[in-house]
Amino acid sequence: MIPMRSALSFFAFSIAGLFVFADPALATQTHGQPEGLYVHQMAHIFFIISMWSLEFWLRQRNLTKERGWRYIQIAAVLFIVWNIDAAAVHFLDEYLDILGITKIDLWHIKIDNSQGQDSITILYYLMKLDHLLCVPAMFFLYFGLKTILKNTRTAAGVKTES
Amino acid sequence: MIISSIPILIVDLIGSFLMIVLSFLSLRIVFKLRKQDNDNLIWTYLWWICLALSCFAVSRSAGHILKDLLLIADQKPFWNIVRPFSGAINTFMFIVVGAVTLFFERIWKIYQLIRKDRQALQSAHKELVFLNQNLEKLVEKRTNALSVSEYKYRKIFEVSKDIILVTGKNGKIVNLNPSGYNLLGLDRETDGIENRNISDFIAEPENWRDVMASIQNERSISVVELGIIASDGAVKRILLSGSMAETSDDESETIHFLIKDIEQRKLMEEQLAQADKLASIGELSSGVAHEINNPLGVILGYTQLLLRGEKNTSERYVDLKTIEKHVRSCKTIVEDLLSFSRKSETQKEMLDIHLIIEDVLTFVQHHSDIEHIVIEKEYNPGVQPLLVDEKKIKQVLINLVVNAIHAVGTKGRIWISTDLSEPAGDLIVKVKDDGHGIEKKHLKNIFDPFFTTKPTGEGTGLGLSVSYGIIKNHGGHIFVDSKTGVGTTFTVTLPAV
Repeated sequence: MIPMRSALSFFAFSIAGLFVFADPALATQTHGQPEGLYVHQMAHIFFIISMWSLEFWLRQRNLTKERGWRYIQIAAVLFIVWNIDAAAVHFLDEYLDILGITKIDLWHIKIDNSQGQDSITILYYLMKLDHLLCVPAMFFLYFGLKTILKNTRTAAGVKTES
Repeated sequence: MIISSIPILIVDLIGSFLMIVLSFLSLRIVFKLRKQDNDNLIWTYLWWICLALSCFAVSRSAGHILKDLLLIADQKPFWNIVRPFSGAINTFMFIVVGAVTLFFERIWKIYQLIRKDRQALQSAHKELVFLNQNLEKLVEKRTNALSVSEYKYRKIFEVSKDIILVTGKNGKIVNLNPSGYNLLGLDRETDGIENRNISDFIAEPENWRDVMASIQNERSISVVELGIIASDGAVKRILLSGSMAETSDDESETIHFLIKDIEQRKLMEEQLAQADKLASIGELSSGVAHEINNPLGVILGYTQLLLRGEKNTSERYVDLKTIEKHVRSCKTIVEDLLSFSRKSETQKEMLDIHLIIEDVLTFVQHHSDIEHIVIEKEYNPGVQPLLVDEKKIKQVLINLVVNAIHAVGTKGRIWISTDLSEPAGDLIVKVKDDGHGIEKKHLKNIFDPFFTTKPTGEGTGLGLSVSYGIIKNHGGHIFVDSKTGVGTTFTVTLPAV
């Protein structure tokens, strides 16, 4: 049987050898620039799926009959729409490369559309205002939780009184 | 296309700020929810969602605000350095929020299970606490209820007019109610019959075997008529039904019988049948007697006319006397038949029955050899005069007393008693003897006309029939109760005025 100390020494030397005699073939994979974009877009899709699942289960469990949970359902739907909007903006910004945005001065920007379609430009501009979706979503989440708190307190009060 | 960037900047800045504020407000609400019910898994879940959303809002909104401020300040190179970090954190927080949200369904299910278990535990706990606090009272209450129930069923068992009998599977008596002891003519205190077998008391063993076979096979038996032997040997008719009591233990199975004493009902039925039969015979007798009475009168009349013209010493005179004698016998029989059929006329008057009995006894003592027969009298002084036909009632009493004398033979005892029935106040006259008694098979025919157990020539068999007719004509009843070797009792009842 090999003594424990000898085994540990052998393991330590092997690891050290890997660093000392490293070869390019043994290096970890590199992560170039587009990877970040892909991960971010995947995160958007993942977020959409998770919000959709939340909305689905809220309906499935009949929780949407209660006002508080109904607000949270609306929040989930708005979050989905916001994510679609954000993912679409990222897509136009970083992937399609048909729009060129140039800052003219502090208060103006120039959007160049290689396709020459103003509708896409206007749509892009509107989609850039994504806070108009995510802020209402947060509002509904807040009001939903507030309503649940109120209902819970009322129920607890009734229970205590009874 | 040149467009104003002010809306984008304003929406971005205000929106980012609001995102942070709202996420923290939401976090605060969930914090309150958790504070209210710290064990609620749903609030914990919402807490994580809001925490992740707050982190996400901070990372994203801070990035946006910083970007806007840096771009306004024309610090794009610096923003280019910060941008990857801001984006990475933003993406990471995105994934965290999504991941936490995905668990909602699972968390809800677990919460429902926990809530269900908690409710079950709470109700079990409440019940345990209640039992712990009230166990003594509950036991007392249940014991009382049990006692009441036991008393109720014990009472039914004790006071039931029907017989309730519990036996083992083999017929061994386990319990018998007081009515059962009465039926068997036993004393509950002294004649304990537990551990005896019910088959010992059944008159028809073969029928009893069928009953037990039916119970064993079909677990019960519906109404069946049987004879049961009382302690004095008398067989009483009963209706029996029974069923096997279900128990978990096969060995401890018992059979519960419900027995109805129908002896009295049977007797009444027999009496009714007897009365019907006697009424029919009476109708027949009356018809026949009427038809014979007139020709007999003519024969007697002509016989007496012929006798007037004959000398006492002639042979013809002797023959006519013989005819006259037999015609008179026939007329007596016809009159008896008319008495039996209640068609003869009665002359009723208010009379003291005790005086009538005394006259009868005097008459009988003069005409019979009753030196060694003791006649005991027991009169009820409360008996009032009755509306009766003296001659006919005397005839009845003579018949009964003479029958009693014949039954006891040369030596014996005769009891004559009077009493009043309750509550009607009818007169009851009993003529009892300790003679040889009447066989059971003859009892049903005893009032039939011409029925006699005496040798031919010693009786016409009309005495009791005539008595029956006379008593019925007075609106009364006449019964007989007899046991071979013990004696006979005739009971006459006459209605009070």
